[in-house]
Formats: sequence, structure tokens, C-alpha cells
Amino acid sequence: MTSSTRHRQMAFVIDLNKCIGCQGCTIACKRLWTTAPGLEAAYWMNVETVPGRGYPRDWAGRGGGFDKGRPKPGREPTPEEYGIPFEFDYSARLFSGKRDRGRPRAAADWAPNWEEDQGAGAYPNTYFFYLPRMCNHCDRPACAEACEAGAIRKRPEDGLVLLDPDRCDGSRACVAACPYAKTFFDAAKAKAHKCHGCFPRLEAGLAPACVAQCTGRAMHVGFLDDGAASVHKLVRQWGVALPLMDGFGTGPNVFYIPPFIGPAVEGPDGTAGAAARIPDNYLASLFGPDVRTALRVLRAERRKRGRGEPSELMDLLIGRDARALLGHLQPHPSR
Amino acid sequence: MARQSRRNFLKAAGAASVGVGLAGPFSFRTLAATDPGKAYDYTSWEQFHRDQWSWDRKTRGAHLVNCTGACPHFVYSKNGVILREEQSKDAPMLNGVPEQNPRGCNKGECGTDYVYSPTRLKYPLIRVGERGEGKWRRASWDEALGIIADKIVDTLRTEGPDTISVYSPVPAVAPVSFSAGHRFAHLIGAHAHTFFDWYGDQPPGQTQTCGVQGETCESADWYNARYIVLWGANPAQTRIPDAHYISEAQLNGTKIVSIAPDYNSSTIKADSWLHPKPGTDVALGLGFAHVIIKENLFDAHNLKEQTDMPLLVRGDNKLFLRESDLVEGGSKNRFYAWDLKTGRPVLMRGSWGDEPGVKPAVQPPFLARNTLTFADGTLDLGNLDPALEGRYRVKLLDGTMVECRPVFELYRERIMAEYTPEKVAAVTGVNAGLIAQTARDYAKARPAMIITGGGTGHWFYSDILMRVFHFLSSLTANEGKQGGGVNHYIGQWKPVFVPGVAALSFPQGAGKQRFCQTTIWSYVHSEAYDGMDKVGIDTGKYLRHALDSKQFPLYPRNGRDPKIFIVYRGNFLNQAKGQKYMLRNLWPKLDLIVTANIRMDSQALYSDIVLPSAHWYEKLDLNVTEEHTFINMTEPAVPPMFESKTDWQIFRALAKKVEEAAVAKGYPRFYDDQFKWNRDLSTLSAQFTDNGKFDNEEAAAQFILDTAPQSKGITLAELREKPRRYKSNWTSPMKEGVPYTPFQFFAVNKRPWPTLTGRQQFYIDHPVFFEMGVELPVYKAPIDADKYPLRFNTPHSRHSVHSTFKDNPLMLRLQRGGPIVEVPPVEAEARGLKDNDWAEIFNDHGRVIVRIRIKPGEQPGRISMYHTPELYMDLIEGSTQSVCPIRITPTHLVGNYGHLLFRPNYYGPGGSQRDTRVEMRKYTGAVPTPL
Ligand code: SF4
Ligand code: SF4
Ligand code: SF4
Repeated sequence: MTSSTRHRQMAFVIDLNKCIGCQGCTIACKRLWTTAPGLEAAYWMNVETVPGRGYPRDWAGRGGGFDKGRPKPGREPTPEEYGIPFEFDYSARLFSGKRDRGRPRAAADWAPNWEEDQGAGAYPNTYFFYLPRMCNHCDRPACAEACEAGAIRKRPEDGLVLLDPDRCDGSRACVAACPYAKTFFDAAKAKAHKCHGCFPRLEAGLAPACVAQCTGRAMHVGFLDDGAASVHKLVRQWGVALPLMDGFGTGPNVFYIPPFIGPAVEGPDGTAGAAARIPDNYLASLFGPDVRTALRVLRAERRKRGRGEPSELMDLLIGRDARALLGHLQPHPSR
Repeated sequence: MARQSRRNFLKAAGAASVGVGLAGPFSFRTLAATDPGKAYDYTSWEQFHRDQWSWDRKTRGAHLVNCTGACPHFVYSKNGVILREEQSKDAPMLNGVPEQNPRGCNKGECGTDYVYSPTRLKYPLIRVGERGEGKWRRASWDEALGIIADKIVDTLRTEGPDTISVYSPVPAVAPVSFSAGHRFAHLIGAHAHTFFDWYGDQPPGQTQTCGVQGETCESADWYNARYIVLWGANPAQTRIPDAHYISEAQLNGTKIVSIAPDYNSSTIKADSWLHPKPGTDVALGLGFAHVIIKENLFDAHNLKEQTDMPLLVRGDNKLFLRESDLVEGGSKNRFYAWDLKTGRPVLMRGSWGDEPGVKPAVQPPFLARNTLTFADGTLDLGNLDPALEGRYRVKLLDGTMVECRPVFELYRERIMAEYTPEKVAAVTGVNAGLIAQTARDYAKARPAMIITGGGTGHWFYSDILMRVFHFLSSLTANEGKQGGGVNHYIGQWKPVFVPGVAALSFPQGAGKQRFCQTTIWSYVHSEAYDGMDKVGIDTGKYLRHALDSKQFPLYPRNGRDPKIFIVYRGNFLNQAKGQKYMLRNLWPKLDLIVTANIRMDSQALYSDIVLPSAHWYEKLDLNVTEEHTFINMTEPAVPPMFESKTDWQIFRALAKKVEEAAVAKGYPRFYDDQFKWNRDLSTLSAQFTDNGKFDNEEAAAQFILDTAPQSKGITLAELREKPRRYKSNWTSPMKEGVPYTPFQFFAVNKRPWPTLTGRQQFYIDHPVFFEMGVELPVYKAPIDADKYPLRFNTPHSRHSVHSTFKDNPLMLRLQRGGPIVEVPPVEAEARGLKDNDWAEIFNDHGRVIVRIRIKPGEQPGRISMYHTPELYMDLIEGSTQSVCPIRITPTHLVGNYGHLLFRPNYYGPGGSQRDTRVEMRKYTGAVPTPL
């Protein structure tokens, strides 16, 4: 990178209408970056069922971020809140005749996706959806702000927030400071670590693993200022992609298309009512008050397609060509 | 420059919704680092991550598990170690629909785990403890194969070849591996097993209606629908790489309706949700039909041209009016309709009794008979106007007059009387107005598609429901239409190039191969109790008749017991319904159980000799599916690890050993009565490789491609470059860039359907159908033979492919560390159960002790346990199959009626399991302590 690089911001858009909660992104990320011993509990990318307590458990209520511009104290999640990773001794059962079955070595009472498909509400008016979460590569990264060692920087050429373990002094300040709980601590190495946006792939012109491997075709990536990129159009032009819990004050760069499709609330006689099943207030608590406008726009545009009329917005979300979701990036390596 | 950047940064910050004052308390340490003017001191860590994402070898990879994904991948390895895989994202683009890439899923992206898994089989093992105990001694290949070969030769001599069987499912995912053991079985005379039916995935109702083994559109065609009914299908969970087509169709304006008892991962995105009581779907479907007929929203011309609806049924004996009834020497297989123009009965063309102008050269195994050489337009009505209604008097050969009525009138009468929305509402619990509205919307949308899956397919009366699906689709003329039709997705069952697979598996022809219908084999030899006496259905009576009259085969013949069971790339025991009976009664009959697999699955654990086979990334094979229409391949990223061998190598080596044993034991050849085949064991090895022609997988794979017309001309070299689409397909043409939609040869080209009547056939005038009261597809309540309060549902999980990946720690960490059963809050409360408690689930067939997950979206009265965890997983006792009996539907035993005949995996009982009922209570015994 040269000193003439502009400040640019790479952004992600996750379409919650297309996300099927398959955990493909979780695994793609995990298998690529966090396989080393000691990192089992860390998911740079995770997908949780909401409403729910999430990963780590109750992550949204630990503090961190900013309050009226001032760093707000936060609490580092406990190992139990992350979930003690299950280990299994299959060999003993399968190859040495041990009597008991292959059971998880930790008490199984919490895990990163513990509340899968549970959600809220009473049958038949239950509701839930999937929320993939990764580092937001924030405009005002609370993690970096908290790091006395200067190990975290937001790099200018794409706005990725990178953590340099060589500079990390193991203070864990960033882990407590990130309101999204997306900075992690590797106790074995006494170093913090976090999503780095798959920068080695970016250097090769390739989309990050979570995006490139999302089989739901639910994720977009690109420069926010790239007028041709779908992320730009969805965030800046259409205003239908919204940050998660913006109130933390970090200025997230992962945006979500709120879930605008789903069966309506059902009346006691079993007829379909008019009200959406996921309460607007709940969505507003995640994506802010603008979500109401976004939902309206999205629904109106879909209705156009139902009538056979064109809709640029729906085309953007459909993304017929996989490359249309990836801005300037490519889906697969040519090597 | 630096100052400007700093300003920009703050400006951007200010633009976000949180107000940030310039004079705020921020230090923004990042600013310093963000400052392009200040060079950043690069250190080694970035290089470390670059190295993590690097490789020295990239090979094609596929997941040779019982998964319908068939997703093309690249496998990346470095220094002979497989690091990871990633979708190759080069599946062909199709016209007008979103692209298929990147096909994949959570399991597929960690397929490498099984290469290095602690469950991986490394060496041949010989059991030293009890079966299932997990005590082994390591053996050499020479010793292990030697023992097996000796036993095979002895058994051939003393017990006969039909006491030996070889089981391996799903040719589509790995046709070369599949063929290896079948070729071996074929050459020694052992019997092979069916699997598509045994898994309950073969749709007998589609065979009854359409005369095909099964047919569906590729998932890309979903996008072409304007209305999709997800009926007992949860693609977001069970068709992960295809599910995007649902969302994308939806964004494109398509309306999605989900019919499912539970609020599942696909339902959450549907526009409307109907949640009938489990097993009442036929009533719901006929409620739709009622509204469509009553409001005249149906296409009468389509019924007249394409279906048996105009065919005349005799009032006296309820049988079709046949040519033999009216004409001396007339055919029993030609049928009449009443022509309104001439006022006379006319023979309708294309029936079983008609011969095509051009005699077909081949009889494809997936069609009851080859009707594809009939002329286009055979079904065209021309000047005829067949009646759908009315009563017509016809004079029989013997002079008596009988009154006949068209099938449509018989069916309509029942539909109008018995399936009003109100009556259906009472049965299903679905609001009558919603039923009527859904029916109208479905009928008016063009095209409208029904997508269905295991949720409807695994029931005792699943066939009736499939017939109703087709009826709805025919009423609305959606069959054969792009974006229309009835599409079932359950089972990885469609190797489009099946002639190539058959030729490699059965070199002397499938006609010279013993096939056993596995459900019958399992039911009989495991002496399974099905409890059907409690609902007045005598399975034994129907079964004996089917076997005695040779409608279905059973091996060994004449009531003898099976002796040797060889299983490879399949988890027979773990998946088996009636598992308790298998272990108690079938297992002891078997002198030798051999299992070859990549890992120690439950089937292997309960075997006598276990052989390590190569992982999917360690061998060459092809890989296809019904979900898409391209051919995919896998190739060795590394040679087979440890001492493992490819399936092809294993059976080639076993053939050699059997040859040696046969010669040594003085039993070099024997005469096989059943096929008049002088089997020469002394040259077995040369027969297996066809004198060296099939020494390796490469030659075998290319042979499959070359031998099947569907893939002829495609080379392995081309597949290495990128996946290629088939050249032709089963019941519709393959068109460049056009998603495959089935049944167009019949629905569009108007060649006869391969059924008895040559039409989509809804009326089946067979004694067993009459006895069961299902000559027409009408509602039958689910089988409540288990007198327990809760329906036991066994859906497929997003975290496994059947049993594969069930034990994968990465997957288990994204679950609850072990198997669970999903319980509606009210059922848990009623039993004093809390989330994550251990519960004991039981019925007359067995019990399973499993932890519960409260699921608010589960329908009260039902609990759902994701099917078939391994028997060594974290359950206190049993598994799903402990409580699921084998239940044989009598109509699936009909093999003497035109298109209803036994052919492997074409038609036969599946054993069903979703009718199962259980009780659940809090488990109060000792709970295993975490290790
Ligand atoms: S891979 Fe895509 S569809 Fe699957 S959970 Fe992640 S974001 Fe959702
Ligand atoms: S999400 Fe957390 S870790 Fe990521 S940049 Fe923002 S504050 Fe830092
Ligand atoms: S396991 Fe199946 S769905 Fe998943 S990537 Fe492999 S083939 Fe595709």
C-alpha cells in the first residue's frame, strides 16, 4: 500500500431473508483461520437464532462501545458464555472397547448455537430468524480505542480493523471493549485475535471466505464508495441495509437487510391476519428506527416483482450472477 | 495529506448516526495507525495468515456421502496434508435463473475432518470382543481378506450364493465405488440390496401415477415457479445448497406457501403457513381439489388428454372397461373412454396393450416400460371429446349391459361429498377459509409447483398423498411445465447415467443379478414386529402372497437364513428401522458381517471384520444428483491414507483372494441354477477387471460416462476442467442452458406415460388397492398402531447428512454436543421436563433416552428427533430407530399390475416410520457425568 491510498471502507451486507442459518459461513471461517489449538471456542463468524441470547451468551448486554462519544466500560465474556467447546473421546468407545458412549467432555449446557430455531412467541405465532455476526470493521473501533499497546489499527485502504498479535500485550482490553464481542483472546498464546476480513484473499482479489462460501448467496461485500458495488447501492442508495445495534456508537460496517418476508400473525380461528409475525419493535431494537422505512421499501419493491414489474432492488438482492454480490472481488481463486 | 485524511475520517464518523464532536473525548488510537502518511511497520503476523491460506496442490473434490448436494469443490493441500476445501463455484450457468454457485454447506466445508478424524479406520480390524463392543485386533489386508474369502467360498459351497449379500446405497454420489462391490457380488452370485425404497425415499405414489421410479426438476427450476407449495419440505435445512432458489424466487415475486406442522427454518420465510395435524395432508390436498373443481378452476382438456380421468369404469365390478370386455380376443391392457362426439366408447391410444411404431432398443430401469419411441402426439385427442362425466351403458361380449362411468366422475363425487373445506378443516385443523384461498391461489398461479420431501414421503400412506399431489398438478395442467409440477426431494437417488452404472456393476446384465428388496429382507429376517394387528392390517398375509406369487423376491430362498453380509459405504444398522429386531434376530443369523468404510460407524462397530476405505478426497469417482444436471468428480488430493484402499481396490483384491481360496479349496467353479450360469471362481480376478481393463477407478469412471447415452462423449479430462451437464435425461430433453423439468416427453410431446393406461393414472383397479380402499387416492388416517400419545417425527438435520457428520465435533459444537429431541413447550410442561433435561421416549418397539430442546414452533402432540445419531453418541440408550418399527404398506407389495412391478429401487415398500407414536417422560436414572 502506498501513502497515496484513499481512505476507503469495505462493507458487508447480509440479507436475512436469504440467510438460511446453515452455518456454512461459520465453518468456512473457522476451518480457514481458527483451527489452532486453543481457538476452539472462538468464532470470528457465528450465526445465531434471534430472538435469543446469542454468542457469546448475552453478548449485547456486556457494555463496551461508546456512550455519547466516551468509551463505555465493557466486560469480557466468560468461557462459559462462549461455551466450553465439546470434546469427544470416540477412540475409547470405538477402538478400545470402553463401555460408555462418546460424550462431550464438558457439561453440555451452553454452546454458540445453543438456542437454534427456538426464538420467541407461542405456537402457532412463534417467530425467529438467523443472524450471522462477524466483526463490523467499525468506523470507530472500540477495540482499537481500548488497546493501549496500539496493536489494533484500522487500515486506510479498505477500513479493515486488524489486530497485530506481535504488538498485542495480552491486556484483553479490546475483548472487553468490543460491544459485539468480536475480539477474542487466545489464552494459550496470551494474544488477542479477531476477524481480519480475509485480507490474504482480498490481496488476491478474492471475496472473504464467509461471503464467497455462503451457499444461501446472502452475503455481499464491496467498497461502500464504489457506486457499482451492491453494498453501496443497498446501504447508500436504497437505505435498506442497516447496521446492527448502532447505538453502541462504533459505526459498524456490516449491514443487514431486515427480514421482511414471513407468514403473518395468525388469528385464534386459524386465519392469517395482516400483522407481521416478527414485531417491528423487535426489529427496531436490532436495526434502529429506520428499519420501518426499510421494510416498507422492501415490501413495495417485492410487490412490483409480483406484478411482473422491474425492481432494481430485488435484482440486487437476487444477484443472478454471483459476482454481482462481490463488488470488485471475485468468487474463486484462479490459481 | 495526512491532515486531510484525518478530516475525512472524522467527517465520515460524524455522518454516522451517533453524534461525534470534533472536540470529543476520543483519542482514537486507530487514527494514528490509519494515517497513510505514517508508514505502518509490517511484522510477521500478516505473513502468517497469508501462509494459512496457501497450498501447493489443488484438486477436484466431492462429498461421497448420502447427500443430494453433489456440490463441486476444490480441495487444497500442502506438503501432502489436506488443509481444506472450498466450493469450486464453476457449476454451469443456466438461462434466466440465478447461478447455482457456490453450492455447498456447513458439512461440506469441513469434509476434510473425516480424513484425520479419530473415528477414521486406518487398518483392517478383526473383532475380538462381542459385536458392538469395540474390541479389535489389527490385521493385515492379506489376513483379513483371506478370512473373508475362505468364508465366502465355504458358504458358496455349503449354503449357496443367495445366503451372501452385499449392501451399498446411493450410486449417484459415487458410482465407481458403488459398482465395485456390486460387480463382485454379481460375479460370485451374491444378492444385492435395494436402498432407495428401504430408506422410504422412493415415492411409490409417483410410480403408481406416472410409471416412473421417480422424477423431479433440478432446483434451478424452482426459480421459474410463480407459486411454490413447500409441502412437508424444509429445504433451508435439508437442501441447503438449493434453498437459495426459494428465496430468490420469492424476491422475484413468487408466492411461497409452507405446509408443515412445525414452524421450521423454511416456514419462517414463507408468505403463508398451513400447519395441519401430522399425517392429515391427503385430506388437505383433497380439500384444495374440492375448491378447484367446485370453482371450475381446473383444466378439463388436460385431464382428458393426459390422465385416466376419462377412462370408463364398470359399475358392476369397479374394474376398468377393457378391450377384452367388448371384443373377442381383445387386450386386457387397452381401455375405453366415452366419446361425446360419436356417442360411443373409444379405445384410448398409448396404453400398455399398444405397441409403439418403433420398437425400443432398451428398457430403461427407471420407466415401467419404454414408451419413448411412441410417436409424438400419441395422446393427442384429435377429433375425440372424451366425457369426464355421465353414465354410459355398454354391451359386453356376453351381451350383458353394464353401466360405466369415467374415473373423474367417481373421484369427483367423493371429493365433493367428503372433502368440503369445512370437513377438511375438522380433520386437519386448518382454517376452512385458508384452505379455499390457498386452493384458489394455487390454481390461478401459472406455473405453480409443489415441492415435497421426507415430511410427506416417510408415512405409511405416503403413496396416497403423492397421488393427490399429482392430481392437483394435473387439474391445473402444471405437469411438465417449467416451474411447475410435483417435485420430491428425498433420497440421493438419481444417477442419470444409470445405464453406465448398471453395465459396470452387472457385467452380465442386471437380469442375471439377484436383487433383494431390502425392506422385505429386513422385515422377514429380523422377525420384526410391526403392531399392525392393532389396526387390523395383516402384513403377513400380503407379504406371503407377494412372495408366493413371485411378485417380489426374497433371498435366501426357501426360508433359509442369510449367512454373510458385506456392507460398504453405508451405515445399514444405524439407519435401520426396527433396529432392535435387527440386532436381536438378524445379527445372530449372520456368520460373518464385513464392513468397509472410511470411519467406524455403527454398522462397522457391530461387524466382525472392518476394512478401511479411502476418503472421498483420496480417490477418483464421479458425483451426481437429481438436484442439478451436471456431472462432478473427485480425485485424489493425497493417496489413500494409512492402510486404506479405495472400494475398487478392496473388491478387486477380494476377488483375487476368493479366486485363490476357491482354487485352494478345490471349488473352482459352480453351476448357478437360477441363472443357468457356470460360475468360474478360478478366473474371478480377471472377470472383475475385465482382463485388466478396469484396473483402476479412472478406467471404470470413463466406462460409465461412455456407456450411458446421457453422458456419452464427456471425458474425465473435461470434468477435471469443470463440471459438465448431461447430454440427455430421463423424461424430458436436456436443452442448452434450460433448467431440467421432468415429464415433458409425455406432457408436452404427448407420448404415452409408462403406466398401464398410458396416462397419468389415478385409478388403480387392483384387488389389494380395493381391499385397502385406495383404488382412488382418498384420505386414510395415519397408522396409530402404537397406542401412545405423541407422534414421533424423525426429520433430517442441517448438521449432518444422515449419520455422516453426526459425530463431527465442529458440527456438535454448533448444536448441543449430542442428539436432541425437539419438544413443544406444552408437552414438556405436562411431563415436568425442562430444556436440556434427559427424557425417556418409548413405545412397544424400544426406547431412546435423549436430551430435549424446547421448541416453541413445534406442534403440540408431536416431538421431533433428528434421525439416526450413531449408536455410540451421547444418548443414554438407543437411538431414533429404536422406537421406529418396519411397517410395510400392502399396496407397495403389488408387483403384477402393468407398471407396478418389482425392479430394484423402482417400486417396493419402504417400511415407513413417521406414523410412529411414543410416550415421553422425565428420565430419572443415572446420568452420565461429563468426562
Ligand atoms: S453461509 Fe450464508 S446462508 Fe448460511 S448461515 Fe452463513 S450467511 Fe446464512
Ligand atoms: S466489531 Fe468489535 S472488534 Fe470489530 S471493529 Fe468493531 S469494535 Fe472492533
Ligand atoms: S455435504 Fe452435500 S450439500 Fe454439503 S457441500 Fe457436500 S455435497 Fe454439498
